[in-house]
Amino acid sequence: MNSQQPLLEGRDVYKFFGGLAAVNGVDFAVYPGEIVGLIGPNGSGKTTLFDCLTRLQTIDKGQIFFKGQEITRVRPYQVARMGLARTFQVIRVYRKMTVLENMLISRQWRGEGLLNMLRPSHPDTERRARHLIQFLQLEHLTDELAGHLSGGQRRLLEIGMALMPDPDILLLDEATSGINPTLIEIIKDRIRTLNREQGKTFLLIEHNINFIADLCSRVYVLNFGEKLAEGTPEEIMENEAVIEAYFGA
Amino acid sequence: MDQFLQALASGLLLGGFYAVMVLGFSIIWGVMGVINLAHGEFRMIGAYAAWALFRAFGLDPFASLVIILPVMFVVGYALQTILLNRVVERPHLMALLVTFGVSISLANLYKVIYSADPRSVPVSYNGSFELFGVTMPIVKTIIFFLALLIMGLLHTFLHHTRLGKSIRAAAQNKDAARIVGIEIHKVYAITAGICIALTAGAGAMLSPTQAIFPFMGPPFTLKAFTITALGGLGRIPGALLGGLLLGVTELMVATYVPGIGTNLGVAVSFVLLVVILIVRPQGLLGGLRPMEVE
Amino acid sequence: MSTLTQAARPSLLRRWGGLLLWLLLLALLAIYPYTGVTGSALFTATQVFVLVTLASNWNLIGGMTGYVDFGHAVFFGLGAYSMGILVTRVPLAFSPELSFWQALPLAGLVAALFALIIGLPTLRLKGPYFSIAMLGTFVAMREIIRILRPITGGGTGLDLPPVLNRVNEYYFMLGLMGLVVALIWWIRRSEFGYTLIAIREDEIGAEMRGINTTMHKIIAFMIAAFFTGIVGAFWAWQNTYIDPDVVFIEQRTVEMVMMSMLGGLGTVWGPPLGAVVIYFLQDVVWGNLLNFHLMALGILLILLVLFLPEGILGSLGDPSSTSLGRLLRRAGRRQE
Repeated sequence: MNSQQPLLEGRDVYKFFGGLAAVNGVDFAVYPGEIVGLIGPNGSGKTTLFDCLTRLQTIDKGQIFFKGQEITRVRPYQVARMGLARTFQVIRVYRKMTVLENMLISRQWRGEGLLNMLRPSHPDTERRARHLIQFLQLEHLTDELAGHLSGGQRRLLEIGMALMPDPDILLLDEATSGINPTLIEIIKDRIRTLNREQGKTFLLIEHNINFIADLCSRVYVLNFGEKLAEGTPEEIMENEAVIEAYFGA
Repeated sequence: MDQFLQALASGLLLGGFYAVMVLGFSIIWGVMGVINLAHGEFRMIGAYAAWALFRAFGLDPFASLVIILPVMFVVGYALQTILLNRVVERPHLMALLVTFGVSISLANLYKVIYSADPRSVPVSYNGSFELFGVTMPIVKTIIFFLALLIMGLLHTFLHHTRLGKSIRAAAQNKDAARIVGIEIHKVYAITAGICIALTAGAGAMLSPTQAIFPFMGPPFTLKAFTITALGGLGRIPGALLGGLLLGVTELMVATYVPGIGTNLGVAVSFVLLVVILIVRPQGLLGGLRPMEVE
Repeated sequence: MSTLTQAARPSLLRRWGGLLLWLLLLALLAIYPYTGVTGSALFTATQVFVLVTLASNWNLIGGMTGYVDFGHAVFFGLGAYSMGILVTRVPLAFSPELSFWQALPLAGLVAALFALIIGLPTLRLKGPYFSIAMLGTFVAMREIIRILRPITGGGTGLDLPPVLNRVNEYYFMLGLMGLVVALIWWIRRSEFGYTLIAIREDEIGAEMRGINTTMHKIIAFMIAAFFTGIVGAFWAWQNTYIDPDVVFIEQRTVEMVMMSMLGGLGTVWGPPLGAVVIYFLQDVVWGNLLNFHLMALGILLILLVLFLPEGILGSLGDPSSTSLGRLLRRAGRRQE
């Protein structure tokens, strides 16, 4: 349905833990400008697949491409700099740093010279950080330690950190889990805005089916590390194999 | 060939000693996740105790185990209760620093008490015998077989007694062990008592074959670490295998690399250690995965 | 983006105050030798400067980056031996002989180069594994120095010609200390410093956000090794004699760790403060306990970990985070 080159693609991806195949030969593609959902029961390999796509885990077989370039063996920080950002199921923010400092850590990269690094953060970086903090409605917490934030606020902060380097694709791992409905609406709204106005691509791991149905144009379903189904949210929700995987027969 | 056989035999004997020496270190690490940097110092204490008993009463180092083991069990129990139980559940670094502090304090305490002069325990049977053209030192041969015996006993204890099973349960899942009513800190204290007693006992046993001085500890701690990385965490068969591997490697290097001598043992074990940690961070036999006791 | 509010920046004084105070203190210390003090008072001050410099260096890798180096004295030793070999051995092979000032940066470079070589494998290790690997490096290096008798003099050591006097020793260490602490201060507020702390707090997270963690760790390690090597080289000259047992002593690493911990890991001013406190503690302990001072040092380390793990400065910042703080608070509550 999409003739373009995929932005992020996994070909025949395998990942084993001991004898267990956590990801078992999955083919996978996300095209520019899409919002794609990734769903499946607990333990179906969603987060492992995320970890493989972002190079946190090294895959045992298969290939991964980003922007047409193979990244199967590229180091994670280089993948991140190519324009791929993610959040984590278990939130990774720097609890002993302020919200602003957290944002500055995930800065837009501006050269690796020692002299560059020995400077304080660039005013443009800081301006961007403050803008994003405002965009995510966290401005009243700018100088608060991240450790003092609520779970939902930390999720928002993590999304902000992922946005700092102006990535082409964002992978959000359960962005709505443990978050109150008001904040979920904010997150949904922000994803939509970023997608429509800046053409950002999203890949979402979600348990919240309404969230997926509202946002995604395509959904992948994983079960036992294998791709069970693929299609629009409507198709998926009527797919019998999917219903069986979720509710048992 | 003779030279090779000699190095092999000496290496195996040394390895047997290493195995029994490392058990205490490996089990403390395996059970409570504490890397005991004062390990070598407890071995030093055992050696000094054997020396003092030999000098004062003419007591044989192997006979003195009867006194040293129970006393050092109490010391280990107290150490765990007073110090280590306060840090076992905090970040790794805390326990590491505490045992580092214990290591420095003990080494320097012994320096004050006994001075830095090396001591030795000249037992009458400190000779050797010939076996198939290979020279076998008597003391080290005794230690080797004692080491096997101790490991067998310890294995039986861990697998077939209630207390041993509690220790293994605590190692595998602290919280679950707590739920089924195991007093975790008491189990830790008993574990530490056994381990420290074993370590000091190993020191006492080897006292006839080596110079005893206050700063003999740190190289042994390092070797214990290497052997654990080789053989696995808290595993008795692993300790034996790791000990034998290191012993043979050291002797082979000392025999075949000219101009080096045994001083390089530490360097050899360090190189081995770093190579293992980098190539197989989970340990050579997969044993550095937390935390099983076999 | 245009609606961004220009937030209040910290005042100039807050941004630069620390450095200004430091420069002021350095200026005062620079006058000290002119106040008619004895040579031994200058010697004491120089020893304190050495400790402050070592602690600050250790703090860069151990405190800010979170890689607790239990063998950092290896760089001190390498610096001392580089100096010794350069001025006593090299001139025999190639005259003219090297002066103190020529050999000094070379000694630092040797230490930094070794940090690069050893850091590439060891900095991949996590937590206690790194600590032990560095302890191993330290012990192994001492043995290697002992074995390489033709170059290092083995156990007999090397004699260096005495060239420094108390006054120029004092000024040299004052300058080096001033430079190192100012550098740490600068790093702490730079992007580089933020990044090191990010690595300490969550290395995987940092890597996933585009930070080349390996390179940052190596650079921090090399800087810490470079200046530690220079201090070692200076120490070799000051002492005019080096052998494995006076240069490679565990105590030096212990001191670095403890001073940083006492003052506050990862803070700029904590390690210098800790160094001063520990020096005077040792001085007091030395006077009364003679041989027991190292033992007391070990016990102090244990007490520190148990009761003041965040250090003096850390505890001032957030009293609730230390056992001592909790204890005080509990006591306070009981009184209410």
